[in-house]
Amino acid sequence: MTQTMAEAAIGTAGEAAGDAAIDAAGDAVTGTADDAAGGAVTGTAAGAVPGAGAGPDTRRLAIEEAAARVITDPENSRTAAGLLDGLIADETAEHGVRTFSESVAATHAAGLVADRLAEFVAANAAELDALVREETRFEYFGLRTVYDRYLLRHPETRKVLERPQHFFLRVACGLSETVAEAGELYGLMTTLSYLPSSPTLFNSGARRPQLSSCFLLDSPRDELEAIYERYAQVARLSKYAGGIGIAWTRVRSRGSLIRGTNGHSNGIVPWLRTLDSSVAAVNQGGRRKGAACVYLETWHADVEEFLELRDNTGEDARRTHNLNLANWVPDEFMRRVEADEEWSLFDPKDVPHLTDLYGAAFDAAYRAAEEAGLAVRRIPARTLYGRMMRTLAQTGNGWMTFKDAANRTSNQTARPENVIHLSNLCTEILEVTSDAETAVCNLGSVNLAAHLAGDGVDWERLRRTVRTAVRFLDRTIDLGFYPTPEAEAANRRWRPIGLGVMGLADVFFALRLPFDSPEALELSTRIAEEIALAAYGTSADLAAERGRHPSYGETRAADGVLHPDHYGDGHSNGRSGGHGASRSAARSPEWAALRERIAETGLRNSLLIAIAPTATIASIAGCYECIEPQVSNVFKRETLSGEFLQVNRYLVRDLQARGLWNERIRDAIKRADGSVQDIPEIPADLKVLYRTAWELPQKALIDLAAARTPYVDQAQSLNLFMATPTIGKLSSMYAYAWKSGLKTTYYLRSRPATRIAQTTVAAAPGAPAPAAVADPEAVACSLENPEVCDACQ
Amino acid sequence: MLLDPGMDLTLRPMRYPDFYERYRAAIRNTWTVEEVDLNSDLADLAKMTDQERHLINRLVAFFATGDSIVANNLVLNLYQHVNAPEARLYLSRQLFEEAVHVQFYLTLLDTYLPDHDERVKAFAAVEHIPSIRDKAEFCFRWIDSLGGLDRLETSQDRRAFLLNLICFAACIEGLFFYGAFAYVYWFRSRGLLGGLATGTNWVFRDESMHMEFAFSVVDTVRAEEPGLFDDELAAQVVRMMEEAVAAELAFAADLCGDGLPGMGVEAMRGYLEYVADQRLARLGMPARYGTANPFAFMELQDVQELANFFERRVSAYQVAVEGNVTFDEDF
Repeated sequence: MTQTMAEAAIGTAGEAAGDAAIDAAGDAVTGTADDAAGGAVTGTAAGAVPGAGAGPDTRRLAIEEAAARVITDPENSRTAAGLLDGLIADETAEHGVRTFSESVAATHAAGLVADRLAEFVAANAAELDALVREETRFEYFGLRTVYDRYLLRHPETRKVLERPQHFFLRVACGLSETVAEAGELYGLMTTLSYLPSSPTLFNSGARRPQLSSCFLLDSPRDELEAIYERYAQVARLSKYAGGIGIAWTRVRSRGSLIRGTNGHSNGIVPWLRTLDSSVAAVNQGGRRKGAACVYLETWHADVEEFLELRDNTGEDARRTHNLNLANWVPDEFMRRVEADEEWSLFDPKDVPHLTDLYGAAFDAAYRAAEEAGLAVRRIPARTLYGRMMRTLAQTGNGWMTFKDAANRTSNQTARPENVIHLSNLCTEILEVTSDAETAVCNLGSVNLAAHLAGDGVDWERLRRTVRTAVRFLDRTIDLGFYPTPEAEAANRRWRPIGLGVMGLADVFFALRLPFDSPEALELSTRIAEEIALAAYGTSADLAAERGRHPSYGETRAADGVLHPDHYGDGHSNGRSGGHGASRSAARSPEWAALRERIAETGLRNSLLIAIAPTATIASIAGCYECIEPQVSNVFKRETLSGEFLQVNRYLVRDLQARGLWNERIRDAIKRADGSVQDIPEIPADLKVLYRTAWELPQKALIDLAAARTPYVDQAQSLNLFMATPTIGKLSSMYAYAWKSGLKTTYYLRSRPATRIAQTTVAAAPGAPAPAAVADPEAVACSLENPEVCDACQ
Repeated sequence: MLLDPGMDLTLRPMRYPDFYERYRAAIRNTWTVEEVDLNSDLADLAKMTDQERHLINRLVAFFATGDSIVANNLVLNLYQHVNAPEARLYLSRQLFEEAVHVQFYLTLLDTYLPDHDERVKAFAAVEHIPSIRDKAEFCFRWIDSLGGLDRLETSQDRRAFLLNLICFAACIEGLFFYGAFAYVYWFRSRGLLGGLATGTNWVFRDESMHMEFAFSVVDTVRAEEPGLFDDELAAQVVRMMEEAVAAELAFAADLCGDGLPGMGVEAMRGYLEYVADQRLARLGMPARYGTANPFAFMELQDVQELANFFERRVSAYQVAVEGNVTFDEDF
């Protein structure tokens, strides 16, 4: 990689990311003429125009006021960001930091970064300082997140020692061997085109660079010592800011005989209580709360109690409020649900082999165990499925993840001893685990919104971004610090990475494609395919340069099978009824060429693609999360740094262009909870485009996910949305997801049954008294939509 | 009619299905105090200024007894006189919610004030701290305003009852509590006291429903007996609202002193007047103040939350779900 190329990358990325008329600090906050209630920043202590002379408290307040007025005009977000940027610059100046090299010197002196980084920066100070771009592309919420949580602070004064641009360049230098490399990655980050995941942003260049996002631990063996050893591993991994997925399927169920004491087991719940407390106690590096998800296979005899762990009713001693829960569901279960048959529950002590089998081998072993009379209990499969659906509706938890689809198509499972036992905290990672190997994944996401040019995607630039991203993700494997030997062993052998995307909804808005249009499906699938092609190509290049990953011989790729090959024409996952699974004829020559090249070079990474939720990095980039639709045109975001208002700036731009963005429309959108569907002034084309996740058919979300599945060799964090879930709707939806060949799903999002009265929207005039007799349907509808449905209130 | 004396027990045919649906909706939103994590608040309290700590201690002292007062009025007046079994179902549920709020603020106080004597003092605030005592006395006066009336026979009885109902909805739940919530959200807008804010979100949601229920009782009575709503009643409501605003402002003066950045008596006055106008509007009355809301951070309260699950528990889930397993429904 040459210096010139790095600069070119910065240049093009810079131009494409769009409008950057950033108001300088001190500019008045934008308001529109009709804001009688004070659209411009007024009131409280902000009477004075914020400027260089104002004290820090006044300036902070001006920033908060501007941020609070984002709903009036989204440009206020840029204004607030500009003001905050100035404040940060002044704060770093208090410790004498102005340039990048000064910031690294200061953080090194404070003991926050590694010697290697300090030496690299000192040796190349002038060149690196020249890379720093002064202009900021941040929205307020993104910059505020960076300021609150990512910038390194002096251990005693707690003042920040680096500016946001220094932070990006520090992260880049932490992963680079040359200035050119650093420039290349920095160019992607500063244009918000690509961001590594939070652990890398937190720890790159640090003395103990734990760069991985997630860890997947196999179930502890069914022994006391093994269980306590797992708690310790979870605690060590959690301490360094990793999210935890852990299976619990091997641990015996309630009532099982304990030979050593001749007593009976209390099942898995008390163990999970201990895990719950342990996870809550270990604060991730003091930065965010620990988080874990427990996976249980559907045949485990404690599955019903497991599904109740998050309920807010019942005995608190049998509840785990901090753990997330996921079902690891075999196809055999779903088939029996469909056929309305019985399902057998087992004590793992009696069937220890089941969790290490999948597909036909599992089906046979499961039936054999039934015939041998080993079942603890039998229940109608639909009864258990119904309970799963209820847990999803009541808690959003109890994610449906599909064991057979996960294993059948994984590159890592070519040999029978390599089995995937669970997914991770966010259901996008699928990697094999065992007692000796804790799966690890390093993540990063491409911001699709920053790869638009004219009226389409700039494919060449997207490929370039992917190639750079894959190289740096591969680099993190070698540079990372691993909290446990099991994690290190697995990561060095398999070298998996998880490249994902964010801002898909931005792309659809910008190109005016409704989420459920055929054009959106085609574009989304092409994006996934292009990313996969570029990522695999880069991994093959890396294999040629640095060697294949040590376990390459155990992968399906070594046998000539790449992930898309599992999805034949018109079939998903070998089942009929799938969607979008057919591979594009357009790019089949590229796949053929790639297959030939890999046959020669092998691959550097056993897995390459995983679509993570991108909660925090999408905030930094100012785009919509991963592949998600918007949840509302106006919503607030709660984080550790307080709450922030977000407004759909594409909608605002469209309404402004048509002269429709005014106080009355704003109130109407707020009153309708961020929906534009029932506002008469809004034209039909905008109503279709600006539907929220609650208003889109969920079938469309599943179809989009299914269509990109061939190009996602791990999985996707796919949230599904249903305002008022019923068992009937949910059971139909998840059965469809399974049939479509999805490997995993994530949260079920639903809405509260009652809600807070709005304080800042003009009150609706005194509602008429309830009719003495009302149609029950109509009553239900008015309660769901108290502001919308005047007719029957 | 709804205020006719008696103990109606008949749910079929249902006269007021709207009340029954409100009862069911409330059940779907059950939450428990154990779900609120107050841990991070302790770190925030430790780094607060004396002035901020004074504010928060006073606020907690108000919360300590506020919901108990509302529960008392519910038992002593509302349950007795709103004569419809479906309305009494809702009130029973409301009583449970008030109990949860009391428990939440008790837990909050135990967490925030580790010192035993401090806790005792906080509960005694209703007797010793003038700004809190005055608000409580305003409430007690209205609890007693029915003078132990057993049956609402005359129009005058019924007007007295309506005033009591409106007072608790518009002035106490709808103004005193709204004032208190504003302090909480002011802290939250600065990234502070996230645990308190989470619990407050849920309390706020409940209180909003209580208030809306009370207003729909008022609407119903108005439809059934329009003659009760005369100018004299309207004038009494305005006077009552003015008194409530004055009491809440005295509380604000006690809490804020000379003012904190972004929070002070004058701003609070604007906010309270704005809220008072909203309550009057809901009752179909003209605005008394015509003031604009000065608290931008309260805008946040009106829009959907999108919690990042790493950070907080999402409060948007429903409790009761219905239906059977099928495979052919639309989604």
